Amino acid sequence: MVELKNVTKKFGNFTAVDNLTLTIPQGEFFGFLGPNGAGKTTTIKMVVGLFTPTSGVIIVNGYDVLIHPIEAKQSIGYVPDIPFLYEKLTGREFFYFIGGLFRISKTVLHDRIAELIDHFEIGSWIDKRTEDYSQGMKQRITIAAALLHHPKTIIIDEPLIGLDPRSAKIVRETLHLQSKNGVSILMSTHSLAFAEELCDRIGIINNGRLVLCDTREQLQIHKARYDGKFESVFLEMTKQ
Amino acid sequence: MLIHILRYKFLSYIKTTFDSRLVSIVRGVASLFVFTGFAYAAYLFASEATRFMLDHTHTGLYLFHTFISMMLFVFFIAVNLGNIIVSYSTLYRSMEVSFLLTKPISFTTIFVLKFLDNFFYSSTTLFLGAFMMLLGYGSYFGYPLYYLTGVMLFVFVPFMFLAACLAVLILMAIMKLAGRIGFRKVMAGLFMIYFFFIYIFFDSSNPMRLVEKLNRFIPNMDAYLVQSTPEYLRYLPNQWVTEFLYYSARGEMMKALLYAGILLFVTAAAFCVCLFVAHRFYYRSWLVSLQVRSTVQAPADPARKHFFGFRSKSIFSSQIEVLLKKEVWTFFREASQWMHLVVMIILTGLFSVSVSNLNLRSHVFDMQLITYLVLFAFGGFMVGSLALRFVFPLIGLEGQAFWTLRTSPIKESKIFLVKFFMGFLIVLILAEYIAISSNIPFTKITEMRPLLLWFGIFSTFWISLTTVTLNLGFGGYFANYFERNPIRAASTQGATLTFLVTIIYLIVLVALVFVPISAYFTTVFRFQYFQVKLIVLPGTLFAVISCLLSVFGLIIGLRSMRRDF
Repeated sequence: MVELKNVTKKFGNFTAVDNLTLTIPQGEFFGFLGPNGAGKTTTIKMVVGLFTPTSGVIIVNGYDVLIHPIEAKQSIGYVPDIPFLYEKLTGREFFYFIGGLFRISKTVLHDRIAELIDHFEIGSWIDKRTEDYSQGMKQRITIAAALLHHPKTIIIDEPLIGLDPRSAKIVRETLHLQSKNGVSILMSTHSLAFAEELCDRIGIINNGRLVLCDTREQLQIHKARYDGKFESVFLEMTKQ
Repeated sequence: MLIHILRYKFLSYIKTTFDSRLVSIVRGVASLFVFTGFAYAAYLFASEATRFMLDHTHTGLYLFHTFISMMLFVFFIAVNLGNIIVSYSTLYRSMEVSFLLTKPISFTTIFVLKFLDNFFYSSTTLFLGAFMMLLGYGSYFGYPLYYLTGVMLFVFVPFMFLAACLAVLILMAIMKLAGRIGFRKVMAGLFMIYFFFIYIFFDSSNPMRLVEKLNRFIPNMDAYLVQSTPEYLRYLPNQWVTEFLYYSARGEMMKALLYAGILLFVTAAAFCVCLFVAHRFYYRSWLVSLQVRSTVQAPADPARKHFFGFRSKSIFSSQIEVLLKKEVWTFFREASQWMHLVVMIILTGLFSVSVSNLNLRSHVFDMQLITYLVLFAFGGFMVGSLALRFVFPLIGLEGQAFWTLRTSPIKESKIFLVKFFMGFLIVLILAEYIAISSNIPFTKITEMRPLLLWFGIFSTFWISLTTVTLNLGFGGYFANYFERNPIRAASTQGATLTFLVTIIYLIVLVALVFVPISAYFTTVFRFQYFQVKLIVLPGTLFAVISCLLSVFGLIIGLRSMRRDF
């Protein structure tokens, strides 16, 4: 479960996120949409502890991320928009590294890594150093690493960047399965179709403010007001 | 084309270095103070050292310049070796080169661009230091400022430029050979050749042996000195600079200009050779570097358990274990890191062996004291250099992958402390080795009294602790997570500032120990009893200053790790 209460983030005079209040209950798949620079990544970075909010409270699975960051992070699986990895480590070493940070025992980790390698079909290059990986390979490694510790909440920023159709399908199915298993997911994306297909609820952010936040069913009402396309709703909501 | 690209690089540099934000202005003003302090200290040191050597100890003009020649030799080798390592990153591993290669620009232009970038970017502080030392040296002889500026531009800069030219020539030769016989074999061969030459140079121009022989020739020193310089030394660039300075000091300008002319001609010729070789071979050697890298990075065998591998067991908690393993493997898989460490260890070894064999019995009290202080300061300087090169970049080198740590359930203090202990351990071991070896000769002349040895071990502990914490803390504060080259990270403005703070700290320490050490040598010289309490107060002050600076470094570092990423 993720709760944001009156969260604001300012960079000097610029307000990136403006008084945002949002709750994502356990098991919900929440799609976070918005144009470039709307505040999606900033919001996500505040939830995972990479940015400190200027004001407001963020609670993840019962823990305030500012007061109990360790406990909050323990329950999150985060996938950034650009999957930077330690270039000198192999993919498998990276998994062991992340597993160690999340205090997973070696035996459990060993089995879990084998499971994820199979699931994401990455066995043929997992023992090469990540500096040799393509963007898509890195993305798959990052998503798999986020699932190592069976997180209660997955925060994922632009999951489809650089993925080939087969990898995209694997990712889509994985996220869907996680959501069905009761994991709450906060996903930022530019793919309206992807959000529409997978998400239980969709929020649109523009200029740091949440301008729309409705379930998939309610979204149909909004769509009906325009030409039946989600794209038109999005463009209208994010008009400057 | 070259000018066009240089113009935009310069504009980009100016815009990123000088902006109007308050924090940047404060940082700039602070840097200015520290740089001015450093420049003045370098000037003062050179001026006083020249005065002391020529007026106080009556070292002859030729012998004094022989010492300068030795320092210039070390300087030349340092610039040369530094440029080989840095050029590998800038010429063969830079993203900018990959970008430029896709544009209609000649390979020679790209080479010149990166070569100049490399030379001027990493040598700014060296230029400042060299110029201020030259001013200090020149003030003794009463040279005007315009003359010394000319010497800097037409003698010292070409001298350093020659070292850089030779460095890239050697590097391109390495790449060519690496394509045929393998990178590691080439590097091992190169190291052996380097150390052979360094050994030969110091063996034939050992300062202690020189002084001993001189003492036998007194009062006909000049007669000895003129004929004593080995013939081959006359072909070395450091000797041309020295001859220029020597003949200038004697007022024989024609002879001086002859040596400056030789230097300029050889430098110009070396640069032309560089351009020619780069025109013929740079692109091909760039392709070889890709091939070498792909050979080194063959997939690991998943079934094989490595010593200290991620799958092997550990006595540490899982978080500490993976942090340590990550630091170790990322370090040893980066050629520029482990190669530089090996060079530093070998140089430390050479220095320690040479120093531990010094015979100081025949020296007067003044010389013993000065030798002690010089070795003390030099030891500190070595520690500061090690910390700057290997500890300062530690946080910044996390790079864009730092998100993994920042979003994991681990305290920032734990990450900081793992980095600190790794850096501290390496620096402390090398520093104590230097301290013990450089105190051996003094233990011998003080009838095996261990006081100086213990003091050396004590002070080295504090110096190592302080320099490592300062470098790690400041490294975090000035971290540029986009810079992937550790050598460039250790030569940024922030790194230079940190090094200058370390130098100022060392100067304060030398000033603190001057009185008690002087008193100690006096009592040894007069066969009196030294009251240990004389060293207790400066020693305590030493520890307190070090402690305060360490805490400062710790706070800065921890705060920097909690900044928005």
